[in-house]
Amino acid sequence: MNAPTVTRRQGLAIGAGLLGVLVLGLVVDGGRQFVGEIAGVISVSYLGSALRFTVPIAFAAMGGIFAEKSGVINIGLEGLLIVGAFSSIATMYALGSESVPIEPNPWLALLGAIFASTLIALLFAIVCIEFKADQIIAGLAVWLIALGAAPFLSVVIWNRRSSPGNVGTFSSISIPGLSALPGVGQIFEVSPQVLLLLVAVPVSWYLLNRTTFGMWLEASGEDPKSLDTAGVDVRKVRYAGVLLSGVYCGIGGAGWALNVGQFTGTGDTMIDGRGWIGLTAYLIGNYNPIGAFLASFLFAALDALQIELQQIAAYDISSTLVGIIPYVAVLVVLTFVGRTRMPSAAGEHYDSDE
Amino acid sequence: MSGDGSKGSSEDGGWRERGGATLDRLVDASAAERVAISLGSLVFALVVGAVLVFVSGFVAECSSPFIYLPGLGYGCYNPLEMYWTILDGAFGSFTDLGQTLLQTTLLLFTGLSVAVAFRAGLFNIGTQGQMVLGALATAMTVLTVGEFVPDTLLGSLVVIPVGIVVGGFVGGVWGMIPGLMKAYANAHEVITTIMLNFVAAGVAYWLVQVHIGDLASDSVQTEPIPGVARLPASIDGSRFSLIALVGALAIAIGIALLYSRTVIGYDLRTSGIQEAAAEYGGVDARRNVVTSMTLSGVLGGIAGAIYVTMVQYRWQAGIPPLGFDGIAVSILAGNNPIGVIPAALLFGTLKTGSVAVDISLGIPNELVEVLRGLIILFIAMPEFFRLLGKHYGFGSEPVATDGGERR
Repeated sequence: MNAPTVTRRQGLAIGAGLLGVLVLGLVVDGGRQFVGEIAGVISVSYLGSALRFTVPIAFAAMGGIFAEKSGVINIGLEGLLIVGAFSSIATMYALGSESVPIEPNPWLALLGAIFASTLIALLFAIVCIEFKADQIIAGLAVWLIALGAAPFLSVVIWNRRSSPGNVGTFSSISIPGLSALPGVGQIFEVSPQVLLLLVAVPVSWYLLNRTTFGMWLEASGEDPKSLDTAGVDVRKVRYAGVLLSGVYCGIGGAGWALNVGQFTGTGDTMIDGRGWIGLTAYLIGNYNPIGAFLASFLFAALDALQIELQQIAAYDISSTLVGIIPYVAVLVVLTFVGRTRMPSAAGEHYDSDE
Repeated sequence: MSGDGSKGSSEDGGWRERGGATLDRLVDASAAERVAISLGSLVFALVVGAVLVFVSGFVAECSSPFIYLPGLGYGCYNPLEMYWTILDGAFGSFTDLGQTLLQTTLLLFTGLSVAVAFRAGLFNIGTQGQMVLGALATAMTVLTVGEFVPDTLLGSLVVIPVGIVVGGFVGGVWGMIPGLMKAYANAHEVITTIMLNFVAAGVAYWLVQVHIGDLASDSVQTEPIPGVARLPASIDGSRFSLIALVGALAIAIGIALLYSRTVIGYDLRTSGIQEAAAEYGGVDARRNVVTSMTLSGVLGGIAGAIYVTMVQYRWQAGIPPLGFDGIAVSILAGNNPIGVIPAALLFGTLKTGSVAVDISLGIPNELVEVLRGLIILFIAMPEFFRLLGKHYGFGSEPVATDGGERR
């Protein structure tokens, strides 16, 4: 397909990442021995935490792809992640596993999160498809409602904007045999949400590029008229796309919260803009789940790196300044790539009876 | 067919055209219809909010529940009592009134900021960031200038305007960035302004924490601004200043006149709504996009300046989401500068009243943020109200499904 655009975009993404590292180098006390320190930080455990950081961003990004491919721009991803994170912790709490996590509970919490997030996505879909709402404003509303509702319910349940203490997390899965290997064995001890992500990326790619459903999605966003003529209900395809974005964000939000074992509803909530980064990750990845995953991983790795570097006491790094690197990178990419090739009919309503 | 003014090739400017389509629709809607939709959205948001509060009352724990429903248990929150308490909490005493007007004043500035962009066909989600940086610039300016002026009225007359101008300037620069990116790189302003909010918050936090803040303090904040830089309070028990409110109202009227009476205002509006037509008429649409976003940013910056000089008396991390409230205010007002006045008053009432609700009824005041989102959601779907209107026989088209039978 339009290879030059992709190459340029990815080149810029990598450039932005390197720029981020460079900025980090400047922020760090004079930048001396910096490269050496970074090399020291990059290890198997760093990779693991970077992947855990990728979970919410990449799931949001892939969800966004499904919605937008179908023709519905879902900028409410951040809100859906917040719903996912909150409802997973609320489910854990309801299951009563405050001190000792009981094994099936995190999985039930994950289901609870998927249910809640998909429900909100359904609401968004109805508003956009049946009532022809402006998708941008409705998506904004989803974000703002979640930003208020999650802390609201948190206060109702726990009397404060954040859940009290640790309600339990996913325990990591060891792959038998491989995890016993010396040195690299750690790679094969993964958290379930990371495993889900690593499965979801190729599956999503396959769904979009190699199945009839993927073709329908593509047509629904590019040329709904001909899809309609072919006898496929455009509305149903769009519902499927938006609902999938709810499912993905449910997993992403829960994956993040069940990593920490707590919901934090203060400030921008614990999601802290990761949904927005996810949105830009799929723009950078040009609507390709693999590209979106790589972009998400780049931002997540940067975030994890900053936290690792902060633990090296010799360096006085401002976490907030490093935290803005993804946003700056996105701005740079948007400015210099600018014209993202989005589905032609994205954002437009479709009436089959005309 | 795909609806709402899609003009064929949306190849690379899809989002831009989308903005245009929205504006077309908003402008096409008659004034009366817009007022009806705003009021309808408000009513629906309040009803849905009431349901949410009622239901969550069964989850909450309290000593004296107001209702018992078999199967559900005890409900803690009475929605009617809640809305009454909001009104009472917002207007029940002079102090309450002062707090309500204080919030209203701030919301006027952020609402106008969003409205100015919206009028030009631009979604400025970045008022929050413009406000945060404007507030910081004002705080630093009045801290510096405050040392050189006498502690008298004369000093105030120098230091406060200077602080507001600098706040507005910095907000304007921050608003100009997404304007330039939109005009010359076609980067969609919804994304860029949201990103710039995060950048603004991060940069301001870092500056204050590491460089210019009150380093002796544990909180991330600047030194308190001197008394000479504080707007005089007009009502006992509240920091509300009538001067700020009058200024805000004057600006609202000024912007309304700018748009209705001047060529510049006309150009600004048409550039956003009918870019091609504007270009044909010899208007530099790109420059006007930048101008509108800058003007919007200036107002966001002034909102920050007023926040510092009237409310917080310093810059402190965790500035309330007045910029996001401004989006709701502007959308509720149909992006009309005069309409922003009652919309800001409504949100000011909700914000102040919700504090009373939290204290006396135990209902979390985060509810206001939910209402803010709900109002935006309902206004986003005028079609919902048209269908509703049609269903109850208000529409011009005959109702086909029920054979003309009306309720």
